[in-house]
Amino acid sequence: MTRSIKLALGLIVALPALAHTQAIGPGFELERSGRYADAAIVYTATVRGDPTNLPALLGLERTLFILNRMPELLPLVQNARARLPDSPALRSLELRVYAALNQLDSLETIARRWAASTPQSEAPYREWGQALADRRMWDEARRAFLIGRRALGGDGTLAVELAELELRVGNWEASAAEWGRAVTRTPDVEPSAQNQLADAPAPLHDRVAHVLTLPGASVGARRLGAELLLGWGQPTEAWAAIEPTLAPPDSDTPTALRRFADLASTLTSPEGHRVRGLALTRWAEMVPWSLGARARAEAVRELLDGGDKVGARRVLEGLTADSTAPTEAHTVAEAALLQVLIADGQLDVAEERLSAARTGLTADDRASLRLALARARVARGELDRAAAALGNDSSIVAVAQRGWIALYRGDLKGAMESFRTAGPYASDRAAATDRTAMMAMLQRIQEESSPELGAALLTLARGDSGQAIAALRRAAARLPEQGGRLEVLLLAGQVAAQKGGEQEPTATALFDEIVRAGGEGAAPAAAELDWARLLVREGQNAAAIPHLEHLILTYPNSAFVPEARRVLERAKGAIPKS
Amino acid sequence: MKRRNFVETLGKLGAVALLPSLTVPYRPIPSLLIPMDDSQTDHLKAYGLTYKAIQNGLKAEWLLNYRGGSFLIPDLDALRRDAALNGIRTEPVDSAMTAVRGEIEANNMDAVPLEKAPKVAVYAPPNAAPWDDAVTMALQYAGIPFTKIWDAEVMNGGLRDYDWLHLHHEDFTGQYSKFFLIYSGATWLAEMVERNSDMARRLGFQTVPDLKKAVARTIRGYVENGGFLFAMCTATETIDLALAAHNVDIAATFADGTPLDPDADAKLDWSQAFAFTGAHIEPNPLVASFSDIDGHQVNGGARRQPLGAFKLFNFSAKIDPVPTMLVQGHRQVIPDFYGLTTSFVRTRLKPGVTVLAEEEGAPWVKYIHGDLGKGTWTFFGGHDPEDPQHQIGDPPTDLSLHPHSPGYRLILNNVLFPAAKKRELKT
Repeated sequence: MTRSIKLALGLIVALPALAHTQAIGPGFELERSGRYADAAIVYTATVRGDPTNLPALLGLERTLFILNRMPELLPLVQNARARLPDSPALRSLELRVYAALNQLDSLETIARRWAASTPQSEAPYREWGQALADRRMWDEARRAFLIGRRALGGDGTLAVELAELELRVGNWEASAAEWGRAVTRTPDVEPSAQNQLADAPAPLHDRVAHVLTLPGASVGARRLGAELLLGWGQPTEAWAAIEPTLAPPDSDTPTALRRFADLASTLTSPEGHRVRGLALTRWAEMVPWSLGARARAEAVRELLDGGDKVGARRVLEGLTADSTAPTEAHTVAEAALLQVLIADGQLDVAEERLSAARTGLTADDRASLRLALARARVARGELDRAAAALGNDSSIVAVAQRGWIALYRGDLKGAMESFRTAGPYASDRAAATDRTAMMAMLQRIQEESSPELGAALLTLARGDSGQAIAALRRAAARLPEQGGRLEVLLLAGQVAAQKGGEQEPTATALFDEIVRAGGEGAAPAAAELDWARLLVREGQNAAAIPHLEHLILTYPNSAFVPEARRVLERAKGAIPKS
Repeated sequence: MKRRNFVETLGKLGAVALLPSLTVPYRPIPSLLIPMDDSQTDHLKAYGLTYKAIQNGLKAEWLLNYRGGSFLIPDLDALRRDAALNGIRTEPVDSAMTAVRGEIEANNMDAVPLEKAPKVAVYAPPNAAPWDDAVTMALQYAGIPFTKIWDAEVMNGGLRDYDWLHLHHEDFTGQYSKFFLIYSGATWLAEMVERNSDMARRLGFQTVPDLKKAVARTIRGYVENGGFLFAMCTATETIDLALAAHNVDIAATFADGTPLDPDADAKLDWSQAFAFTGAHIEPNPLVASFSDIDGHQVNGGARRQPLGAFKLFNFSAKIDPVPTMLVQGHRQVIPDFYGLTTSFVRTRLKPGVTVLAEEEGAPWVKYIHGDLGKGTWTFFGGHDPEDPQHQIGDPPTDLSLHPHSPGYRLILNNVLFPAAKKRELKT
């Protein structure tokens, strides 16, 4: 649909009352019902009585175009324009009619004549180029815009029009260059530019960004390039593009930085978090303290999530030492600092500081830090101190953690009760899955206590899988075959398979033992699946297939069957490797 | 080949509706019903099981419109085992078959015997992975064997060995999907250019566009002589452009060293095309679009249209068994998916083309079918029904995660459709 038709249809909607008063309402109705010839008769009659009636002339433009009778419109438009030579709407219409008639020489003559009458106006060139672009005459349209740019001067003149033209043609780099000129001239068009260029094909991202960020590019263009890079998931490159535009700051810098930080918030990668932290830190330096302090606290969290402990600590030091910062900002900073200390292994310092900060921290922060501290103590094998760190916290997350501590002490009954109490919603999904898997193993074991199993699991939790495999096998040997032994051996086999290398024969032996034992529990099917996976991983697809088929046909109701089918498909090459 | 009589005889099947006694007589042999409604646990593999049955010389039936287009196969241990291993739901139906056939007789349903496993060829470069193409993915997943053939085999008469030919994202205009300038420097593109140029030289053509035009003409001849052609994505649009352009240069300079003919649109001979007519060539070598046949113009910048959903038409199973087979499914409305060619603008369709699926209220259709000579062709727009915005370099679709895909079912309908027995009309 041409721009004029869109405009005119807009008029139909927006100005029905006007149409009525001008006695062309029946024309609109006829046009709406598809009776274009009859509508044209009404519009023509209106124009005869009122030669400059714009809605009627636009109606004729629409209907005569469809009827392939555009030559009839030209004298009417020329007559109207002669009567109202200053009307931009009539001038535009005249250009479109010439374009529709493919009279390009006349079109240019008329456009230049209009331009001569309004020497400072972009409108003649804009309408000239648009009329050609609407006819898909890209090269001619580009020429018209560039003639306008040369005539009026200024690098950014008609840049938006040229940018959109290049986009329609698919010349993304040329469009980017024009958008760069447009934002340099009028920063307000930046959101449009970003919106349009964001759709560039992935292979062209680097080239588009390069056009906008090459040496000598304007501040506006670089910022546009930075935002595009962010949107394309390249935060580091985006920060490199925007950072040189921040000093010395201009009046738009805080807004640009804030916008950059907000856009970065959609990224979930560590780099995305780090870059957002950097942007917030810089933004905080440019705004009043009340705003800046909160931004700094947010920046600390982002930098930590991005793995930039040094950067986070630097911001924290400034924040915690600043007595003028609001209390809320202090609290957030303190929590973030404790997080850093725990992550760094300074558990005693963190514990001391956590006690001292009792009044400042929120209840949620305190609970989350206690849990982090308890987990860090478990990782060191300090079960009593881990339990002490949790205090009397009765949250389901703390209850779940107490379950793990009980398990590592060998108190299987206590662990099971804690896991049951914690339910499926404590912590995240992965943690809930770990607890569920452990409960599935524990429920096959009749004994209420097994210090050997607890110690083996603690060894595993502390990351010593080699020792853990041996310890799990020893613990399994003390259990009846159908009373938990196979499940514990399965865990040992899974750890061995995951470790790979020299442990793979151990894994195979363990899986073999479990499959041969069979029985009613889930372990034989799970072991056969893990065995097959191990074989597929080793490239022995043919050897894996009988195991998978045996599993599917022997345990048709097992929960492992759907996954076994997927592995079978992969082993047979029926689905891609993922 | 039996397919040569297939279309003729099925075309006359309108009268079958008036002759209920002509439907397959009920024989009380043990059978397994493979339901294809929502109770089915793996719709796509069900096609593979049916194919396997007929490949082994067993009789099968396609119960059109009955429970989503179910299949009936002999109740044998080997087939039961395959069904169990592949997670396909089957139901023993010995005593219930009388009622089933009664229901089929009384409704817009039909039972079509499937008797010959079609030999399937996929037109693809020798080194193409099966995951490049929705059809090979579907065949691979369902366990239906196929052979990859390319220009040399086509030009040397190899098509005569196959009942069914599939084309996917080949650009028959010889312009490398017009990625030449956009992806210049990419290794995969350089390999594609080298492979195609080498093949053109080997087969005695001056340019790749010349070679592809000749391949397109050979494929057209294959269909005229009774072949079944199924094309998706770019292949649909470009094979017709290549056929219509037999006497005019529509390739950009980068492809053949000469600019396209400025009067190309006027010189196109649409009488040679399968499906389309009156289209305009996209002249810009930087725009990865070929013409205005495609309604969605995924790479057309501002011309790009958003995805909607397309709806399958209902046909009379007893009067129009061919289109009925092609639209068997358990969903009538399916989310749309992009391809370099996503859809077909209605005003560019030749008269007589059968529309199998459309987006209601939109100026384009999705899935079309027609006859040419003794053969048939079916065009399905889009690249991958389960990856609606597929990009180059995206990970391949894992069909074990989409075992109920209604879009992939449409592809597999096309594979089994040539297996249907040609029923002679009693007079």
